[in-house]
Amino acid sequence: MLSVRGMAVGYRRGEPVLDGVDLDVQPGRTVGLAGPSGCGKSTLARVLALLLAPWQGSVELDGQQVSGSRYAAPVPARTAVGLVFQQPRLAVDPRLPLHQIIAEPLHATGRSRQAPATVAELAERVGLTPELLGRLPHEVSDGQLQRACLARALVLGPRYLLCDEMTAMVDASTTAALVSVVREEADQRGLGVLAISHDEELLGIWADHVVSL
Amino acid sequence: MADITVTQTVPSPAAPGPGWRSAARRRAGTPRGRGAPVRSRVRLLGSGGVLVVLVASALLVPWLAGLDDRAVDYAAVRRPPGPAHPFGTDEAGRDLLVRSLAGLRISLLVAAVCAVVSTVLGTVLGAVSGLAGGWTDRLLMRLVDAVNAVPHLLLGIVIVALYRGSVLAVIASIALTHWTSVARIVRGEVLSLRDRPFIDAAISGGAGRRRVLRRHLLPAVVPQAALCAVLILPHAVWHETALSFLGLGLPPHLASIGNILGDGRDAVLVGSWWIVALPSALLVAVALAVAGLGGSWRDRMVPRRRSELAL
Amino acid sequence: MTGVDAVTGAAPAAARAAAGPGGPAPVLDVQGLSVRFLLGRGGRRGIVAAVTDVGFALRPGRVLVLVGESGCGKSVLASALLGLLPANAQVRGRALLTVPGLPERDLLAAPERELATQVRGRVIGLVPQSAASHLTPVRTAGAQLAEAVRTLRSGAAVNALVTGLAERVSLPIDALQRFPHELSGGMAQRVTVALALAGDPAVVLADEPTIGLDRPLVDRTVDLLARLASDEGRAVLLITHDLRAARRVATDVAVMYASRLVEVGPADAVFSDPRHPYTAGLLGALPSGGFRPVPGHPPELTALPAGCGFRPRCPVFGDGGCSNDPALVRCGDRFVACRRPPC
Repeated sequence: MLSVRGMAVGYRRGEPVLDGVDLDVQPGRTVGLAGPSGCGKSTLARVLALLLAPWQGSVELDGQQVSGSRYAAPVPARTAVGLVFQQPRLAVDPRLPLHQIIAEPLHATGRSRQAPATVAELAERVGLTPELLGRLPHEVSDGQLQRACLARALVLGPRYLLCDEMTAMVDASTTAALVSVVREEADQRGLGVLAISHDEELLGIWADHVVSL
Repeated sequence: MADITVTQTVPSPAAPGPGWRSAARRRAGTPRGRGAPVRSRVRLLGSGGVLVVLVASALLVPWLAGLDDRAVDYAAVRRPPGPAHPFGTDEAGRDLLVRSLAGLRISLLVAAVCAVVSTVLGTVLGAVSGLAGGWTDRLLMRLVDAVNAVPHLLLGIVIVALYRGSVLAVIASIALTHWTSVARIVRGEVLSLRDRPFIDAAISGGAGRRRVLRRHLLPAVVPQAALCAVLILPHAVWHETALSFLGLGLPPHLASIGNILGDGRDAVLVGSWWIVALPSALLVAVALAVAGLGGSWRDRMVPRRRSELAL
Repeated sequence: MTGVDAVTGAAPAAARAAAGPGGPAPVLDVQGLSVRFLLGRGGRRGIVAAVTDVGFALRPGRVLVLVGESGCGKSVLASALLGLLPANAQVRGRALLTVPGLPERDLLAAPERELATQVRGRVIGLVPQSAASHLTPVRTAGAQLAEAVRTLRSGAAVNALVTGLAERVSLPIDALQRFPHELSGGMAQRVTVALALAGDPAVVLADEPTIGLDRPLVDRTVDLLARLASDEGRAVLLITHDLRAARRVATDVAVMYASRLVEVGPADAVFSDPRHPYTAGLLGALPSGGFRPVPGHPPELTALPAGCGFRPRCPVFGDGGCSNDPALVRCGDRFVACRRPPC
């Protein structure tokens, strides 16, 4: 279980964005996080993904407290949690073709040998053709890029996936496709999913239960 | 009820049929008029051509038979430019054209080394400053301000005076005064990239600091830094020429154009204008050509965005 | 909506002549509009067919929503109408702008000077995609509105108009004193709508105005746009990939796929009974419609097939068995690019 207890965090001293927040993400289940924009949902996701150090409270991953954030957090902890961002264009390195973007976490953790096979398999699951894999980000649409970002988040086989407004910028068909991939992962591999969205209708269909900030 | 007009034909999309006209318009904020592509090509080819010719001749001088920049001929002292000596001769009878080309070779070599050293130094310091933030960043930026506050030449002279006559001292004096602009540019680029989600994604994917720097930040920064190196070259040439002119630069056996100008200082007063004017013109031509090429490169380095197609 | 416009579509002249009972003449009449981009010099690296043979008529008091997935060419259409295409673009066709009191003109052929001084802002107001990047960050919202009003309406009482505009878009007066980065997403978007209205345009063109906004904000924004049509009699063209927003406010809808229009008709008819398989697929991808993605990918705009672009993905007829003709045909109350019963 990925959880956080009594968490307070903010960007400027004295102005907490979140205060006294508890959240659990359980394996195999999808918890939805709703709320208007600006209420701190993305901040919560960043804390859970160990990208932001909370002022109070700490993140607990599968029973163990994780200390440190960003580079200071241990690599196995960081890679156990996958994160998909709202804007795919800003979330990828614009100089790398899609297959390298997806394979990057494998290279970073010393698993380069698995890269070609894993990337090919994941690309097929998220609906990217081999021809698209060789393209640069500015040559593909937002929907296709977000599929690549989802593949990248799943490439290390994380135990938890945080989708931070994953579908806000893409059309209805891509939304349905991305969510179906995540659901499949949750069902087959017991992935624990935190679905952040301001779209209550989507969360109603996607999440097992919904929490509001 | 929306009503539309039914197309009567089914042409294949974007067919090269009749009726296509350009949608290009000269709008406020788009400075390039219709002549811009032509002008930029002229600049590119012109600069490139000049540079290739001059650099080639400078490099080939030692190997071309019969051309010796040290050949002294006291019978032909201070001859004005003429058919035998296109640039004239200097006070020892040496052909000025050959001597200038040899000097150009030295000037360019020294300047190139200086530009590279400056750029590497500036890139490293700028990247460290941008990535580390906090006190490191503040200290380094104050150092940049301090270096910029002192006139380059003065600082350069001080450094060179400590190690008279050494080529290394000349290189150091130029490198240590020109790295600051590179550092600022690189720091700015790193700062703008550091908080982008794709860095967060890399960290989440298990990358450590060094990998992020090596794989994501530096490659984004290198093109800008390389451009800086090219644009520093004319400055380095100027700086080295000034030092040599004052007699504080390269030793006489490695005569650069600055040395030639310094030697010819007195000759100008007796009317031998070509000894100073023509080698300087050569230097100016090279500097302009390099700046022109750098400018063309910078114009082409507009980042690719999907909005190019406005889809 | 009141009245039933006669459906015309045989030829351009007939279309305008037979505007039908109760139907005002179209403000914007687009005929056979095609846009292509030449990549590389002279198209050496390829040609992108972004818009192919699009035609529709925009009437006052109606909201025409142009829907399609990202990359299908919708925004290119908006840029083409306003003369904002990049230098490597080429156009074909006509876009006739007819406003009472002004001569009729073809937007695609009009020179830049005419577009800049007479059309943009004054006859066609643009509500752009992301408010944050379209507002000058160093001036307050009120100052930008005042500048727009001053430029577009000569001799007007600037302050009164600015406060009037702010009221119309439900923008609190104190928001006018703030800088764009101090405004929330929704408020910034309302400022851009106010800017679009500064010149009292007859046509409002909204290009993906709701991307990245919360559902409640999306609803508020599109409701505001719909009010501009219903209460103020303007003609609104809303370009979006958000089907739910489209369903909420559209009076007419045009579905775009791979640079072509595939279905055009009255909104309630099209949404309740889509005749083109792509439209049906899009509606089926909504959470409330079954949440089924449309399988496959749209074709590349550099390699569009001459026939129907949707055929490889078409669930109804699979590959082969259809007429493969992408031309729009009249089918009852709408136009569809798919010839199967009942069309």
